[in-house]
Amino acid sequence: MRMVNLRAPYNARRVALTLAVILLVGFLLLPSQLQGVFQQMGGPVGWIVSWPLRAMAGVSDGISNAWTGFVVLQGVEEENKQLRKELEYLKGQNSQLREAAAATDRLTALLEFKAQALPPMVAAQVIGRDTGNWYRTLILNKGESDGLQPDRGVITPAGVVGRIVKTTTSTSVVLLVTDPNNAIAGLIQRTRDEGIVEGISEGSARLKYIPLLSNARAGDRVVTSGLAGGFPRGLSIGTITRIDKEEGALFQSAELTPEVDVNRVEEVLVIQSPYVPTEGERLGPPGAKPKP
Amino acid sequence: MKVLIYAVLLVGLVPIQSVLMPHLSVWGVKPDLGLIVVCLVGLFAGELEGLVVGLAVGWIISLFSAESLLLSMVTKGGVGYAAGLAGRQVVYLTPVGLVIGLLVVSILAGLLTAGSLRLNDQQDMWWALRAIVLPQACFDAAMGGAIYWAVWSRLNVERTVSAYRA
Repeated sequence: MRMVNLRAPYNARRVALTLAVILLVGFLLLPSQLQGVFQQMGGPVGWIVSWPLRAMAGVSDGISNAWTGFVVLQGVEEENKQLRKELEYLKGQNSQLREAAAATDRLTALLEFKAQALPPMVAAQVIGRDTGNWYRTLILNKGESDGLQPDRGVITPAGVVGRIVKTTTSTSVVLLVTDPNNAIAGLIQRTRDEGIVEGISEGSARLKYIPLLSNARAGDRVVTSGLAGGFPRGLSIGTITRIDKEEGALFQSAELTPEVDVNRVEEVLVIQSPYVPTEGERLGPPGAKPKP
Repeated sequence: MKVLIYAVLLVGLVPIQSVLMPHLSVWGVKPDLGLIVVCLVGLFAGELEGLVVGLAVGWIISLFSAESLLLSMVTKGGVGYAAGLAGRQVVYLTPVGLVIGLLVVSILAGLLTAGSLRLNDQQDMWWALRAIVLPQACFDAAMGGAIYWAVWSRLNVERTVSAYRA
């Protein structure tokens, strides 16, 4: 098979080398500035690319829906979908009600108690997955023009999905809760022990830094603590499946099954304004407040 | 004409990579179409176009991923440039040669990425090699070989391009 020669007749090697050196030096001397410039320039490019991306996502969804809805099990599939949605909604509601009940018990003693309210949210559709293999992300069909910004929390009625790490004019990239590079402040609902939820390589998550004296056990629910990370308190993250206590370790950790099946998420809610904990949440449980 | 082809390629790459490729993934690993395209462009169009297209692909791909912009641009640009240099040394290219070349290039690019990421305690270099780098390299090589075979021999692009250049 003969090699095809499409090369231009000028000294391409010299031009290429110069271009490469200029860019490399630029990136080494001004890494954040140059990255910022490219990210800004990416806004309009992202808008252009978002059109074929949405079109292809639509076609893909259409084919997928046609296959699952009409070819495989028409009636059962539809019913199953409805029931799943209902179950997710009820799970989320249940988790929030439990949290609300626990919060009521703890906070009624506080003088300046304020009711917990979810901040305004924007609904978005999932139109793609990460373009590489190193991160677990979703691509949403809403971006800066819809008020989305990096570090905003992303949820479904069932619980936490992840947080936004990049935005263009009309798309956003969400780092999933199951990605090892993600960290969300979590709280065991029953014992009130706090920790950090990180993704693990196998596709689930882990709650780290649980105090050694905690009596957390399998089956306990983990919710957002609301102290950092763009999420209000009480959103369901997952259920503990195993507790790991290592000999000589200062903390224990727990493996979680995330409440949201991130491989099947189609629509999400993005918490639009940065979350600020209420006064009651900042003060913590009544026992922690010293008496004057 | 060439600019238009490259523009269509750049705009079309992200939808294919983020919507279609996940359906082809095995054990959560999917081929990197951007790397394959950049490699082919570098081989057939030279190091300048390989570098420029590589930088552009790296930039656009990184806008739709959590991957670092710098790393993505350097990796793809470097692959395009290296493929262009390699293309200068090759007179006859067989699909097998291309597959082996892509395998090596993909492994090197993967190792560069793994080395530059801050891998945590559960993701060491050995994990990166067996879970992502090697499976992706095999995928890239197979898909690159298939694209090369389909485009350059089945569609007889060589004759079309020669006629266009004449």
